[in-house]
This record gives sequence, structure tokens and C-alpha cells, in this order.
Amino acid sequence: MLEVDSIRKTFHPGTPNEVKALRDVSFKLEDGSFLIIIGTNGSGKTTMLNAVAGSFLADSGRLRLAGRDITNWPEHCRARFIGRVFQNPFSGTAPTMTITENLALAARRGLRRGLAWAVPRRLRAELRDRVQTLGMGLEDRLDNEIGTLSGGQRQALTLLMASWLKPDLLLLDEHTAALDPKSADQVIRLTKDIISRDRLTTLMVTHSMQQAVNLGDRLIMMNRGSILHDFRGTEKARVRPDELLARFEDVRRREQLDAAVAGMLEKSYV
Amino acid sequence: MTLLLGATTVGLILALLALGVYLSFRIFNFPDITADGSITLGATVTAALIVAQWPPLLATAAGFAAGMAAGTATGLLHVKFRINGLLSGILVMTALYSINLHVMGKSNLPLLDQKTLVTQMQSILSPLLGADDFSLFGWRIGERDAAVLALVSGVVAGVGMLFYLFFRTEFGTAVRAAGDNPQMVRALGGSVDFILIFGLAVSNGLIALAGSLLAQYQGFADVQMGIGMVVWGLASVIIGEALVGTRSTGIAIAGAIMGSLLFRLIVAIALRWGLNPNDLKLVTAAFVFIALVLPGSISKLRSRRQTAR
Repeated sequence: MLEVDSIRKTFHPGTPNEVKALRDVSFKLEDGSFLIIIGTNGSGKTTMLNAVAGSFLADSGRLRLAGRDITNWPEHCRARFIGRVFQNPFSGTAPTMTITENLALAARRGLRRGLAWAVPRRLRAELRDRVQTLGMGLEDRLDNEIGTLSGGQRQALTLLMASWLKPDLLLLDEHTAALDPKSADQVIRLTKDIISRDRLTTLMVTHSMQQAVNLGDRLIMMNRGSILHDFRGTEKARVRPDELLARFEDVRRREQLDAAVAGMLEKSYV
Repeated sequence: MTLLLGATTVGLILALLALGVYLSFRIFNFPDITADGSITLGATVTAALIVAQWPPLLATAAGFAAGMAAGTATGLLHVKFRINGLLSGILVMTALYSINLHVMGKSNLPLLDQKTLVTQMQSILSPLLGADDFSLFGWRIGERDAAVLALVSGVVAGVGMLFYLFFRTEFGTAVRAAGDNPQMVRALGGSVDFILIFGLAVSNGLIALAGSLLAQYQGFADVQMGIGMVVWGLASVIIGEALVGTRSTGIAIAGAIMGSLLFRLIVAIALRWGLNPNDLKLVTAAFVFIALVLPGSISKLRSRRQTAR
């Protein structure tokens, strides 16, 4: 269970560039739940994911994962319980190392790394089997540098790496946004397979209405660093893309109105 | 012949420097200028301890350890205090200048008539050879030269092998990955900060070891001996890459060693042909400049064409 309790984060505080990225965001994510977070650019959805991953420490609030208070843990310590796939397909793998070496690193996610061989023989066999399940023919290219693969292939491998040891929480950060439609479909199918097979607790950020509607059993809409709406259960199952769009449109219009009123007030006083 | 033999020996000793520079520059992409200070530190610590009648092996190990401490200092400055990497190295290098003077008590410490690893090796070899000099492929080789060559060949082969094996361990692959993609290593539970400090410690330990052996070979330690050594090491690494490429870590390690050897031989020949020794560092710097800029500008052109991401 992930418990996010009044997390606040302000970037560049006290400067003209100040951004209140997260304004006291709270939610609880039950074990085995698959949460989608959707929002416009700058809504704080990726910041939310990064706060959970530990890319930075929140200004205030608490984070608990599987009963442990991880609020002040650095990223590499949280990694023991969290698997992560980045938006950029190049972020999740080490390009000049082979597929085998990359997967071997993932096979020891969060464990002590000593002076044992990185790729023992029994791991090599398991590796081949699991890469084969991707259905991409990569099992014959295990000794190729990962940098020679396509974005879709790298993202599929990153997904495999993030879930190699079953994580308490899987974080997916718009992980198909940088892929071509065909690879994106393939990676989404793989994502669904892995999550349902291992019953992973998942937090996925996306800006695709399609994915938001079709995937997951819960949907949080974010806007300006706050939760706008939390769709759960049957409400999530019934939600339509145009409904989501309408809600975003509604917010946008209200904000424009606010801005216009503020502008008029300012003018009338000057 | 003495010229070639001397160049080979120094080339092998400085191969340790090249391996250290390979680790910081190539694996971590960290311009670690501490090397100029730590190579001298290795020399001064070993020399001072040998003069104080320490066993040479211990004195050499102490030189290595001192280099590791220097590298750790640079790493801590960079990681814990967020000081720019180049500046961290400059700070430690500058501090080491005073430390080196203190260690020796003066600016130059001779090791004549002292028991060093070289003299120990010589006493092991001399019963085997049975004469003061012997002939190899028709060349006369002095006993001392043979001893030094055997010693440094052994050390470099051992260190190169350990290096290669280390990069295939769990921790070693994490070290390589940390240089390749730190974000990924963090996401997989590796502390990039710790790995970088560790890497700089090992790098400077090896560089100090080079200094320690150099002092024992040439028979003195000098506070000025480190000047420009980073560039020398970098030149060796670049020559090695040009020779054998960078396909795998093992090849790159062998390349750095071969590069150091070749570089010293070229320098020896250039000096023999009348290159003014005063111009040596200028020529080396110019060489490294060209070697750095050429492949960079080529790949920049290439990537400009390719990427639009």
C-alpha cells in the first residue's frame, strides 16, 4: 500500500520562476491496484511520480510504502521496493552495455552488489527465457549493446528490468509517449501482461486519454498541483474520453475567466 | 637500446596512470585533475617511508593508499559539497603540493643506496642470471634494467587483469553503468555518489602507485614530477583507443596499457631526434587537443544529422 499524505513541492521558491508543483496532494493506493494519473502539462503528474520515486525530497508531507516511512529515503534506497520505467527510452538502460549486463543489474535491484560474477551461468539461462517472453526476438541478441536497439525494444526491456524482482510499486512515467504508435501498442500490451501476471501495484502517468480510459482500475485527474477528481470502481469503468476532455475544458475555461477578471480588476484600479 | 628499454619501463609504469585516467575520464567522464598531485603523493609517501626504513612493499602499498585518500577527498568535495568536478580536483591537487613538501620535508628526496622494490627484485633475479648483465636477442641488458622491467610488467599485468575481472562483477558492472547512465543505476538501487567516490579513490590509488614505482625506478621523488601527468595519461588512453578501439572493457584496458607504451616510445624517439625537452608538454597538450576535438566534431556532425528527438 502506498500512502501519499499532503505532499507539497515548490520549485525555485522565492524567485520569479516559483512553481507550486504539488499542493498538499494526498491519496492512498491499495495493494494490487493500478492507478492512472492524467493531467495537462504542468499539472504536477510527473512531479507526483518523481516525489514517490525519490528524485527529490518533498517540502512537506509524508510518504509510506508497504508500512515503511520512506519520506526521507534517497532514491537508490527506495529502489529496493520500487520499479520504474522512464518516459525517455534512453533513460532506463545503459547504452554501451549489453542486454545481458543491463538485465543482470536489474536482477540485483536494491540488493547488495558484491564481487560475485555479474552474469552467472544460471542467470544467463533465466535471462534468455524471460527475454523470450517479450516476443521481440531479443533472446538472440543478448550480447549486443543495448544502445543498438530501438526505443520500443529498450522500453520493453526496461519494463522487464523494473519488474524482474517483483516491486512493491511499479512507476510508469508516460513510458510510451516517446514511441511510435506501433511500438507504443506493443509496450502497452506487455505492460498489461506483466501487471496482471504479477499483480503489481502500479502508478502510471500518461497524457493519453485513450490509455487513461482503457487501462487501470482507478484514475486521478490532476490540475495545477492538486487532485481534480478521483475516479474509482464503477465510475472509473464507465468513464469516457470525451467526459475527461470536458472536465479539462471546464477547468481551462474557469481559469481563463479568473485570469480575465483579474486583468480587468487590475486595469480598473490603475 | 638503453633508450628503448628505459622508455618501455616508464611506459609500463605510466600504464597504471593511464588505467587510472581511463577510469575517471572514460568510465565516469569526470575530468579528474587530482592525478597531477596524487602521482607525486604516491612517490613522496613511498620515498619518505623507504628512507624511514620501511619494507619497500609496505611503503609502496602506503603510496597506493595515500592516492586512494586523495581521490576520496576529491570525490567527497564533488558529491557531498556539490563543488564542480574540475574544481574539486584542482583544490585537492593544490593542497597536495603542500602535503607532498611536508611528507618529504624538502622538494626532492633521493633514494640512492636504499632498499626499494627494484633492489629487492634485483636480488631475487641475480642468482638466476648469474652475471651483472646478460644478452637478450643479441642486446646487452643490465641486471637492474631487467629487474625493473620484470617488476613493472608483473604489476601492470596483475593490475590490468584485476581491472578486467572487477568490471565483470556485480559491483563492477554497476560502476560501468553509473558512468553510462547514472539515472538508471539510481533507479536500480545503486548509490551513484558512493560509486563515483569509490571510482575516484581507485583511480587515484593506481596513479599514486605509478608515482611510487616511478620514484623507485628513477631513484628519487620530486615535488614537481606530477606536472602535466593527467594530459600524459589522457594521451595514452586516446592512443590506445585509436589502436584497438573501445568495443569492450577488456580491449579498452589493453589499449590503455599499449597506448602508454607506444606514447613513451614515440616521446623517446622524438627526443632522440632532437625535440627540445622543454617543448614536450606543449606538444603533448596539442596532441591531446587534436585527438579530443577530431572524433568529437565528427560525431557531432553525425548526431546532428541523426537525432531530432
